Amino acid sequence: MEIIEKIKTKQSQDSLTEIQKICLDKLQPSPLPNPKSEQWRLSNKSKFSNFLNYPFNEKNPKFDTPFPKSSQSTIRLVIGDSCQFNLIEENYSIKQLSEDKLVKYIKEQISCFDENENWSDLLNLSLNCTKNTLGLKINGSEIPPIEIFSHASSNSLNAKTLIIFLEKNCDINLLQVNLGKENSSLSQSTFFFLEENSSVNHGVVSYGENKSNLLNSLNVIQQNNSEYNLGSLHFKFNFARFEIRIKQSEGNAKTNIKSMQITKKDEQISTFTKIDFNGPNGFLDQINKSLADDKSHAIFEGSIIVPKIAQKTDASQLSRNLLLSNLAQIDTKPQLEIIADDVKCKHGATISQLNEEELFYMRTRGITLTEASKLQLSSYFQEIISFIPVSKDRWDLLDKLLQEN
Amino acid sequence: MVKENLVKDVVKEPYKYGFVTDIETEKIEKGLNEDIIRLISQKKEEPKFLLDFRLKAFKKWQKMKEPDWAGLGYEKIDYQDIIYYSAPKQKEKISSLDEVDPKLLETFDKLGIPLTEQKKLTNVAVDAVFDSVSIATTFREELAEHGVIFCSISEAVKNHADLIEKYLGTVVPASDNYFAALNSAVFSDGSFVYIPKGVTCPMDLSSYFRINSGDSGQFERTLIIAEESSSVSYLEGCTAPMFDTNTLHAAVVELIALDDASIKYSTVQNWYAGDEKGIGGIFNFVTKRGKCLGKRSKISWSQVETGSAITWKYPSCLLLGEESVGEFYSVALTNNLQQADTGTKMIHIGPKTKSTIVSKGISAGNSKNSYRGLVKIGTKATGSRNYSQCDSMLIGDQASANTFPYIKSQQPNSEIEHEASTCRISEDQLFYLQSRGIEFEEAVSMMVSGFCRDVFNQLPMEFAAEADKLLALKLEGSVG
Repeated sequence: MEIIEKIKTKQSQDSLTEIQKICLDKLQPSPLPNPKSEQWRLSNKSKFSNFLNYPFNEKNPKFDTPFPKSSQSTIRLVIGDSCQFNLIEENYSIKQLSEDKLVKYIKEQISCFDENENWSDLLNLSLNCTKNTLGLKINGSEIPPIEIFSHASSNSLNAKTLIIFLEKNCDINLLQVNLGKENSSLSQSTFFFLEENSSVNHGVVSYGENKSNLLNSLNVIQQNNSEYNLGSLHFKFNFARFEIRIKQSEGNAKTNIKSMQITKKDEQISTFTKIDFNGPNGFLDQINKSLADDKSHAIFEGSIIVPKIAQKTDASQLSRNLLLSNLAQIDTKPQLEIIADDVKCKHGATISQLNEEELFYMRTRGITLTEASKLQLSSYFQEIISFIPVSKDRWDLLDKLLQEN
Repeated sequence: MVKENLVKDVVKEPYKYGFVTDIETEKIEKGLNEDIIRLISQKKEEPKFLLDFRLKAFKKWQKMKEPDWAGLGYEKIDYQDIIYYSAPKQKEKISSLDEVDPKLLETFDKLGIPLTEQKKLTNVAVDAVFDSVSIATTFREELAEHGVIFCSISEAVKNHADLIEKYLGTVVPASDNYFAALNSAVFSDGSFVYIPKGVTCPMDLSSYFRINSGDSGQFERTLIIAEESSSVSYLEGCTAPMFDTNTLHAAVVELIALDDASIKYSTVQNWYAGDEKGIGGIFNFVTKRGKCLGKRSKISWSQVETGSAITWKYPSCLLLGEESVGEFYSVALTNNLQQADTGTKMIHIGPKTKSTIVSKGISAGNSKNSYRGLVKIGTKATGSRNYSQCDSMLIGDQASANTFPYIKSQQPNSEIEHEASTCRISEDQLFYLQSRGIEFEEAVSMMVSGFCRDVFNQLPMEFAAEADKLLALKLEGSVG
């Protein structure tokens, strides 16, 4: 593990940026996450070390986008493209964050990082230089949909960072696509800051090719009256972790999360979420779906933290899982930690296979078993896919998933 | 605001069972080493296999580290500062209840244990454990007629050594965890139940544990074996008097159910919880586990946990036999600075196994109440089913309620459902009851009782009444 060795020895110290130095200092005492901690206990050790085994690569080769750019005024950006980006229109503006602001913001974030819990972000930031960081500041109204791509190149480890500030009263649709290549690792960290009254429909679609790995971390801070809607989809990764950390910094905010992971062969995909209510009147509606087939392993771990200050919080979390093979396994652990008394919190979890009665019903109506299970799967997928802000005629995700399965 | 204070007042109730019985006890020196273990074994006139079992456990314990993953944050326990054996000194062997120290009987009376003739009428046999050694066992003859063995574990060691040797430590091995290892090394007494093939135990068996001496940890061990097609219901109740230093209680309970057998194990635990500032109280670190070995066997745990400064206990079921059933029904009430970290583990190994979990937590004051559970479906457990429900109720804004369920499935042909909710006492319901002329405290008590109804329904009759009273006691009293 070349990267870990580098961290240990702090190689080429001089060329590093300030952020990289801070992150390396934080990582140095224990360069790897604690395998016994709750967040890392279930991660497959050999797959994880495989993730770290590829040499680090800063270059960004050309790649094919999975769906064509719409003729309408969609804004399409690729992290790592060195061109400067500034868009100032009548109603809105999207500007690149200045380096000072970027550094200031990241430093603030790092100061409250925990070495183990935020290990993925620390690794990302310690590897990443400014070239592979995209920082945007968005304000105004009637903003066209935004698409942001980040991708890995074969036989290497890539690190990409995305930082987005959404100013007051701003409203955007953002689709983030993470693409893995054959034999590659991608470390993607995203930081979102939502100011008062802003709202985001955020879609995250990540998929790889043969033997690609992903470490995807998403940090969101929500101010008063902001609304954050996330629809996410992870599939076709040998090893993938999706970490979602949301903080409603003053309460009075709304969060909706609909996420899904699909594992086949001997893949392992896990989703970890931590929702922190730091003020009253918070709202959360979360659903995570997993589908595990062949010898694969799907993991969901979600925690909801409601301190005393967060009165009148209304939070619900649901984990629904489909286990389709004898050799596959599913672990799910929804957690509630509550100190405030005037709250409504609930969670639920189910693990089962396809509904036999429904299958039987469809077969009695002349539908073949394969078609019937496809129908059932499509209704299972549809709930999540409809939450991802990309129209069906541009990119038919449902079709793509059904073909894969 | 007024209402909030009222609710807080309502949950305060001084500990009713706080008194010390002044009788002569025989103690050995404080501390723990091989010699002490040999001494305990010698005093109890144990066979060699048991001494070996103890010494092996002690060696394992020495290598283990005290667990801290639950984040309970108690002061470190000095294991060398505990007396590991204390028995009430008796002048001669007892032949009837009349000869028992009257002070002792008085103590049981205060606790409301009818160890006397009245109990016969209620058809309950009692094996009372008073600081580690069984004093008297009633109804033995009637049980013996059915071939049921119900005695203290030390007696069983003498009279039924073969059964003890065969089953002791098979469900909870000495190396299972830190406190189980400690218990295996130093256990002083406990209950032993053996139900022969085809016998339905003619009465509910009951045992009351009571920690009397302030500095003696109680390490009791219970072993229940239900042979093919037999069934038994076992009741365990716990109360302890007030002491300033924390007393450790590390018990081990092992249940074994063979083909078509069923065991129902009910607990009402009301040990001293410490005062409002968290001084004193019992540390209740218990390992309870049942093994459904046989086909269609059933083990059901029901518990009402209202006492102890810290409760750390996960009654579990290993479902090995085909179509075996595990159940867990729990009510945990915490107040002041109490901490309860309780839940269950349902390990489905055999095919078509079923489990049900119903857990109700009520936290008041500054207390912390956590449900921590594991449901695991193994690869061979086809057609298995689990249903879990965990509800928490919060009284006051200082209390905390946590839910940590962990679900693992490796079998597609199985179904697992889990749901959890957290709420407070509904003001609308409270207002409705009060507008119908029901006093505030009675209304709160009614609502808590309603909240726990699912669990109380599972308790044996006498226990349900006692549990209802216990919760009402904790929730009533200081208002009005």
